[in-house]
Amino acid sequence: MNAITLTELSKTYPNGKKAVDSVNISLSPGEVFGFLGPNGAGKTTTVKLLGGMLTPTHGSCSVFAINPAKEPEKAHALCGVVTEHAQMYDSLTGIQNLIFYGSVYGLSSSESQKRGLELLNQLELSDAKDQKLSAYSTGMRQRLSLARALIHQPEILFLDEPTSGLDPESAQNVHNMIRHLARENGITVFLCTHQLRYAQEICTRYGLMEKGCLLAEGTLEQLRAKVCSGMTMKIKATNIPKELSRHLNSEGILEIPVQSEEEVPKTARRIIESGGNIYHISTKIPSLEDIYFHLTDRKEKTDEHTNGRCH
Amino acid sequence: MNTQMAAVIKKDIKSITSNKRMFTTLLIVPVVLTIFLPSVFILILYFVPEEGEELLELLETLPLSMQSGTFLQNIIWLILNFLLPGFFLMIPIMASSVMSATSFVGEKEKRTLETLLYCPLSLKQIFRSKVIASFLISMIVSGISFGAMLIVVETLSYYLAGGFVFPDMKWFFILFLIAPAVSLIAITLIVRMSAKAQSVEDAQQGAVFLLIPVLFLIIGQFTGLFLISTWLLLVIGALCSLAAAFLLRTSMNHFQYETLLKN
Repeated sequence: MNAITLTELSKTYPNGKKAVDSVNISLSPGEVFGFLGPNGAGKTTTVKLLGGMLTPTHGSCSVFAINPAKEPEKAHALCGVVTEHAQMYDSLTGIQNLIFYGSVYGLSSSESQKRGLELLNQLELSDAKDQKLSAYSTGMRQRLSLARALIHQPEILFLDEPTSGLDPESAQNVHNMIRHLARENGITVFLCTHQLRYAQEICTRYGLMEKGCLLAEGTLEQLRAKVCSGMTMKIKATNIPKELSRHLNSEGILEIPVQSEEEVPKTARRIIESGGNIYHISTKIPSLEDIYFHLTDRKEKTDEHTNGRCH
Repeated sequence: MNTQMAAVIKKDIKSITSNKRMFTTLLIVPVVLTIFLPSVFILILYFVPEEGEELLELLETLPLSMQSGTFLQNIIWLILNFLLPGFFLMIPIMASSVMSATSFVGEKEKRTLETLLYCPLSLKQIFRSKVIASFLISMIVSGISFGAMLIVVETLSYYLAGGFVFPDMKWFFILFLIAPAVSLIAITLIVRMSAKAQSVEDAQQGAVFLLIPVLFLIIGQFTGLFLISTWLLLVIGALCSLAAAFLLRTSMNHFQYETLLKN
């Protein structure tokens, strides 16, 4: 059974804004899915649709075969959600907040307390457990939100920008925890972020969104194959042969697209044989960022022909 | 009601009792209406006896079966059973408005509502929990206020007028019919406004017009335009209960995920 299924999912707001347009995704349990795109791409709307907060205008979505629009409370029992807008109570302490949410998720008070303390410890918030939330920093609040979302040991975790406002060290801790949750506990993670570099570190699959459209979906290798296969070789050298000089960039460095690493020594040999000196050679595989920008550029070009519709 | 709903009710009640500003707002009106106001009325009558002539005329217009007490005792009886009910009715309206505004709109304002909506409680259960929490606070505040008012009136009556005066049947209908009904009406009006109101204050202002009929009732007693009788209160109570039941049923329609999360 799929953990998450989106079938032709679309949402148009009453003001006419099409936030999500015919998105199809299916995720198996235990996957860490990076749902990536800039602000306004439709990521948060998708999370709201999967959480039953919004009703799709077209298509459908499900979590473990439960339709969140029809049975939201059943879906909520399986999910933990962290979003920027889902805050906790300032008048309660960190542990009181977790005990309250534990009780609402059906845990006994002692279970909630035990689980809450474990999570606070994992998220390095033990020292602040008895402090009121009003005294928490943004980063601490964000980590407590993660603890709250995990209090009932959910099967799916929806994380909407979970590391925004966190310092690099805390962000790294959160990422390690997400990775650990997926690997050890088999939790499916649906991670919305615009921080593509962080996403590349922890996700097993990606969906790239822009203006409500899913530009591409798959593993990094699949995306590379779909979008920009091969790699780029960079060489800093002198006496570059004429046939290679067209690859020189503005800084005088050769940037040559290659299909495999076998081409690297061949190119280097040609330069040396022509009397050149090599100072530096490197190869670069397209990163998630490269793929994303390639896709958005391509979409902009096709939008001119399709009037902005997803295709 | 399950333990999950009980957790929401407990949290809602705790959130208002632990918030000094809100708790003071909740207590100040009952203190003024049930302790300060009756004390002032009775003390004025005790220390300014020359006004007694007009009051005597007022007493004569009533079918008094309790004329056996002293003059001051009879006047205190009038205050307790004709003037104070109108003032008292402001308490459940005010208490339920403050509580439900904090519970519904306050959560939206502080962005804690979305978190609650993601919990495995149905919208109906969240709605019911919040209505129950607001209703309970309103009834507790009203009950304590009635007790405090009775202690103040009886103490002053005993020491200044030489004997106790007793609340009549009207209070039974007020406490067990009208106060619960007006509380529910106020709560449902706040729920209806919670989708549009951006702040707790916005929502509370919306419930203010519920005080207009109560003020009319008070003015009626002061001017002698009409006097509240047990039967009148029973009719008012029945009408308010019907209105509360209707509003409660229909206000759930305003409690939808999309409307609640709209900014």
